[in-house]
Amino acid sequence: MSGPLRILISALGGEGGGVLASWIADAAIADGHVAQRTSVPGVAQRTGSTTYYIEIVRAEGRRPVLSLAPTAGEVDLFIATELLEAGRLIQAGFVTPDRTTVIAPLRRVYAITEKIAMSDGRADSDLIVTAAKQFSKAHHIADFQALADEARAQLNAVLFGLAARSLSISPQACRKAIEADGRAIEANLRGFDTGFAYEAKEPAPAVDASPASVAPASAQFDAAISSFPLEVRDIAREGVLRSVDFQNAAYARLYLERVQRFARAPGADGAFLADLARHLAIRMTSEDVVRVAQLKLRETRLAMVRAEARAKPGDIVRITEFLKPGPHEILSILPAPLARGLLVIVRKLGLERAAIPMRVHTTGLFGFLQLRALSSLRALRPLSLRAAEEKAWIETWLDLIEKAQRVDHEAARQIVETAQLVRGYGETWERGHANWRAIADQIVRPMLAAAQPPAHFADAVLQARLAALADPEGKRLNALIDSVNQLAGSGAK
Amino acid sequence: MAEISFKREIESLKLADGDTFHGEGIIAVTKALLQSGVSYVGGYQGAPVGHLLDVLVEAKEEMERLGVHVEPCMNEAAAAAMLGASVNYPIRGAVTWKSIVGTNVAADALSNLASPGVKGGALIIVGEDYGEGASVIQERTHAFALKSSIWLMDPRPELSNIVRMVEKSFELSEASNAPVMMELRIRACHMLGSFETKANRAAEQSAAHRIPAPASFDYIRLAHPPVTFIQETDKFKRRLPAAQDFIVEQGLNEILGPSESDIGVIVQGGLFNVLNSRLEAAGLSNVYGDVAVPVLVLNVTHPLAPRQIEQFCLGKKAVLIVEEGQPDYLEQAIGQILRKADLQTRIFGKDVLPMGGEYTQRVLGQGLSAFLRANGRDCAALDVWLAALKEHEEAVRNVLAAPLPARPPGLCTGCPERPVFSAMKVLKGEIGPTHVAADIGCHALATFAPFDQGNSILGYGMSLASAAAVSNVQARKPVSIMGDGGFWHNGLLTGVAGSVFNRNDGVLIIMNNGYSSATGAQDLPSSAPTNDGRGAGVDIEKTLRGMGVKAISRVRTYDIGRMIKTLREAILTPAKGLRVIIADGECQLARQRRIRSENAKAVAAGKRVVRTRFWVDPEICTGDHSCIRLSGCPSLTLKPNEDPLRKDPIAHVNNDCVGCGVCGEVSHAAQLCPSFAQIDIVQNPGWFDQFRQKWELRLIRFFGGEARA
Repeated sequence: MSGPLRILISALGGEGGGVLASWIADAAIADGHVAQRTSVPGVAQRTGSTTYYIEIVRAEGRRPVLSLAPTAGEVDLFIATELLEAGRLIQAGFVTPDRTTVIAPLRRVYAITEKIAMSDGRADSDLIVTAAKQFSKAHHIADFQALADEARAQLNAVLFGLAARSLSISPQACRKAIEADGRAIEANLRGFDTGFAYEAKEPAPAVDASPASVAPASAQFDAAISSFPLEVRDIAREGVLRSVDFQNAAYARLYLERVQRFARAPGADGAFLADLARHLAIRMTSEDVVRVAQLKLRETRLAMVRAEARAKPGDIVRITEFLKPGPHEILSILPAPLARGLLVIVRKLGLERAAIPMRVHTTGLFGFLQLRALSSLRALRPLSLRAAEEKAWIETWLDLIEKAQRVDHEAARQIVETAQLVRGYGETWERGHANWRAIADQIVRPMLAAAQPPAHFADAVLQARLAALADPEGKRLNALIDSVNQLAGSGAK
Repeated sequence: MAEISFKREIESLKLADGDTFHGEGIIAVTKALLQSGVSYVGGYQGAPVGHLLDVLVEAKEEMERLGVHVEPCMNEAAAAAMLGASVNYPIRGAVTWKSIVGTNVAADALSNLASPGVKGGALIIVGEDYGEGASVIQERTHAFALKSSIWLMDPRPELSNIVRMVEKSFELSEASNAPVMMELRIRACHMLGSFETKANRAAEQSAAHRIPAPASFDYIRLAHPPVTFIQETDKFKRRLPAAQDFIVEQGLNEILGPSESDIGVIVQGGLFNVLNSRLEAAGLSNVYGDVAVPVLVLNVTHPLAPRQIEQFCLGKKAVLIVEEGQPDYLEQAIGQILRKADLQTRIFGKDVLPMGGEYTQRVLGQGLSAFLRANGRDCAALDVWLAALKEHEEAVRNVLAAPLPARPPGLCTGCPERPVFSAMKVLKGEIGPTHVAADIGCHALATFAPFDQGNSILGYGMSLASAAAVSNVQARKPVSIMGDGGFWHNGLLTGVAGSVFNRNDGVLIIMNNGYSSATGAQDLPSSAPTNDGRGAGVDIEKTLRGMGVKAISRVRTYDIGRMIKTLREAILTPAKGLRVIIADGECQLARQRRIRSENAKAVAAGKRVVRTRFWVDPEICTGDHSCIRLSGCPSLTLKPNEDPLRKDPIAHVNNDCVGCGVCGEVSHAAQLCPSFAQIDIVQNPGWFDQFRQKWELRLIRFFGGEARA
């Protein structure tokens, strides 16, 4: 090849990108090449993006002039320790079909803007993989993190092994570089060998990707469930099971009746019903204090925690829950009239924001008894204020959907989706309800009341839902409602 | 004790005549200082030159052997003033800092150093933090060199050349009695290469061999009238020509390529490799730098030697000046030289290259292509490359249409500063926005999502000073944030003393994490004294009390509830005066480095060790991510929702969690949700743990609990 071999590495600060770069450069030097590497760490070490760049030439007695920065269109090997980092440099033009080999793991470390989104702000990994395959000369993209975990090694060592195959550097020199570095030699050699020996497997024949098959609900519900279109049945079955778990069989029947009410309506296709059944199941089993206690008592939970925390056999695992229910959350499990009375007093005393922070040791006896007492209130739940409030909300929501269905199927579909806004606890729960009410009162109801619902009915509901998910302060939603109202005002004139 | 260990580097500093050094650019510079026989080295930490001082601090033995005094200074002004030793005594000294910011802080001392000039070689090594990866204002150090008559080196980035330029800098400084600055770009500092070493030279007069008597009184060594007028004349009458002669005679600048050509390129030394790579792409050079057009490589960018420029341009119809950053000082100077010599060589520079920003290969390739085309040369190869890039970009855009999320730096996992910003964000929701004067340090990362706060950044340790007028014209008291690094750097005087003296109202939060963390965990006066560190354990609270600050609260940062309460009171109280909140919490990076190995050893030895981490209950989390908007911890992330009925990803704590507890505290403070739990993993449990576990399990079963592992 003419000119140096050019290697670009992108990583997150603290992920061992620098170590990988020095292994490669050291191995190249040990093999009789001239290698130069450089980087732009700086503050980027603190979890930000960082890149390393290496140029390697055959040693010919003269000192070469090597570049300190990568050139778009002139990278031979590109290694990323994370998929988004790979994507960003592909976008910046460093990966080209004429010469670049891409090595990237499928693992994602989400960027802060992806994480703070109020619904799903994740970048599309498939798109990045597609781009990496399309614009590279060769590519090794797979779940290398799993490979590393399996080998009990760090990812960068595995990537080094993969890289060694694309470089004209002997594996002996590579292994020597790891040994000379002196840190975690055994694990790093293991990782290197794993990467070096890696062969891409043919993708296994697709197994049924649908969620683990749902246990059949009891016979009393099966007839009703099988009367639904195919795509609704799994969801309805899950909804039934969850309603039984949440309350009882009668409650599950109520769930099915509510779904059935729409199944008969004209224009209610499978997709519409599936969405409705899904949101309805979530809303009907919303997490009140009793439900939270019930879920936290599950036996399977401790095993899950042990596995996730990588506890070894013999280790004792203790769980301390951080709970801080507010007055409304606590009092609303009481019978409705009593709860309402007490809440008035709380409001008068200005204690609406008061809450008792609790740390409950659920693996201990006392914590267990606390949760047990709370979950035993399940039988009384139907009388509670919370149940009354949930029921009222669900009926309002269903009522709006039904009315909309008569005039605009698409709008009805969008009203179903607004249930996504109502969720969570504490402030999140209040904000969600307030946003939903704003959409119902200022967009849905006025449009339903019009002699002829406007053409943009469905779109307005969709945009309002997205706006409510854009920022927690409700700025976008308020602006949207204003503009929709203005439009309505100008239309009336 | 700095963040990384320099054991290997220290060995490379001891190499003798004819050995080969392999290592980083900035360590090569350090070795070159020792080869030049320096008597003292000082500086202030900061990327990309911080390692210079870190390694020397750690190389105590070798420094003692050589008699080199090493001083981590309190700020860049102190470092520059330290060069005062070379004003009177013929001893060599070097100092280092991050530019442009450090040079700004040092400016007063620099002017006073440059006016009398020096007897012993004085070298200032600045990290030119410009372009990709830069963390400061984009300005040029060049301006300081020009105004103070300090000579400026910008060496071609190849280690033996850089080392030679360090050595020559001291000679140049002594030959012209002027201090010399060397600017090193980020990538040059972090570049790994090799060079043939010489043995270190112990200075004749040094910490080991002290100067027996003070210099005699000589007014001309003082930067004070009336001699300042004489010194000014000396700068241009004697020092400048002496420097120009030295530069030409010693061949500090390199003239490469053919002697006959009607075009040429004049390039800052630091940019030569980028230029060569594009000349190569144009078919006008190769990987060994055998350029086919004449190139004048300016390893010294100030002063220029007019006769060298004239000679280079003579007979050329055009030259391209490759000079990064603005203003275009070199272009102006060269234009003037050519005009005065009445040479008609046309100058290309900032007309074909951009005025600002880093000169990447692509940027330089475009400029070079325009220059070649304008002068009737073949630029087809470059144009083909540039066109292919453009076409490729379009193709990529068709697949990846929207820009992918950026990944700015953020606070580390478990950072003790995060909970302070969580508290501020919760409080903002409660009482509305407050003017926040931000500062330089890790805490500046709170200007990014999810905290998105801060109204101003006016310099290192300047937050409180920057809020002085605000506090007197705003209805609500401003909050200033300062790290312990910034506090000692100058916040103590410019901020605290000023605020007390002027009776300003305001709230100052001092992040007391124990180190200068953003620059690599260097010790500060308030760092705890340890065996291998330099911490002096100076108490910030006592210091403040000594200065007359009365309202001081100390809050452990992780106690978010108390932090909110303390902040609320401090902001809303009608009481006058400065209120200081010392936010205590050790830098988690430093802490983990210490306790990880301790714990691993204890577990291996069979001792009882409790590992704590946090966990999000996947069945309780509804996927709203409020917790992340109040935390931003790297270990608090997302995972797909396993619930077949839900779609939005849920919050998830990964195994990087260090158990700082902020997510749990936040969910309490902001009343978020019951999803968070603390998990304590008792490793090598003792008899009491086992006993308690057994009986609790039995009783839980007795009360109807399911069997639990």
